Amino acid sequence: MIRKEVMKIVLDHIDSQPIISANGFISRDLFELKEKNSNFYMIGSMGLASSIGLGVALKNPRKRIYVFDGDGNILMNLGSLVTIGYMRPKNIIHIIFDNQSHESTGGQPTASNKIEISKFGKICNFKTFVVSNTKSLKNCLRQIKKINQSIMIVIKISKSNIQSQRVSLEPEFIKNRFMDSLNEKK
Amino acid sequence: MKSFQTKIFDFFQKHDVENFIGVPDSTLKEFISYGLKKKKIIVTTREEEAIGIASGMCLSGSNSLVFMQNAGFANSLSTITSLVELYKIPIIFLIGWRGYLKDDAPEHSMIGKIQPDLLKIIELPTKTLSSNNWKKSCEWAIKKIQNNASCALIVKREFYD
Repeated sequence: MIRKEVMKIVLDHIDSQPIISANGFISRDLFELKEKNSNFYMIGSMGLASSIGLGVALKNPRKRIYVFDGDGNILMNLGSLVTIGYMRPKNIIHIIFDNQSHESTGGQPTASNKIEISKFGKICNFKTFVVSNTKSLKNCLRQIKKINQSIMIVIKISKSNIQSQRVSLEPEFIKNRFMDSLNEKK
Repeated sequence: MKSFQTKIFDFFQKHDVENFIGVPDSTLKEFISYGLKKKKIIVTTREEEAIGIASGMCLSGSNSLVFMQNAGFANSLSTITSLVELYKIPIIFLIGWRGYLKDDAPEHSMIGKIQPDLLKIIELPTKTLSSNNWKKSCEWAIKKIQNNASCALIVKREFYD
């Protein structure tokens, strides 16, 4: 499985819920697959998608907040898992596309082939899932609908050569419409 | 006597700042202890993380302040430029100025020296607080975030421990 392929499956289960996407290819894939007002494309501030997600989750307890993260990104900010585990928001779904590499910067290896990221999730009070095929991913996405705690899904994928286009929206525009989308009643 | 740090906390609460997030600093300990007593503080593992959480809260329409020592401000430069300033997220930074006194501990001397220039270079509007001017400066900070701009308030380290 490659990222764009599994991201599409995840997105089939997401309607208008907010998504905070990590910098690099993850935001680019999201931009191509499902451009919407409630996407916050984090084009800078590497590593911080889950922290922004925590802030949004704590302030919007009635919405489910998705974080689209990568292994390289979360490994830069493992402390974020500690703070999420301490705060225990019930409405954050942290999806980690784990290709064991920094694909956006040329495919350099990360440590996630030897260190299992989901174990951090477990000790940080997440309900964790590790999936490595489309069937178990779909199964997991159905299952999480009934779970009332912080959720981490680590999706094991391979590297790919497919490269999506850059996010071509102005950052301030991304922010303003994301804020408006949070205000809409649902 | 109530220190101006606790007055600052009350002032910001009164002016709709709802979230106080950061990494502890001994220069700011009165501010932080007071907020902890009120159960209004989130302590994070690093300063960048605090800025990320505060940004998420600001995106949700909830005003936020991030506190840190200037060592943490140095950690945060990329986050401030590529998140807070890039997206125009209005956050108030409260920063303890280690290395303000010439004979502060040696690890603080360089950052203490370059801090005013760093703030200028990254174009983060700044005011330094004192027990006399704090109110005016805090009013200025509130105006800044009301206009969608971030800003920094600096507390000098004027004691030894």
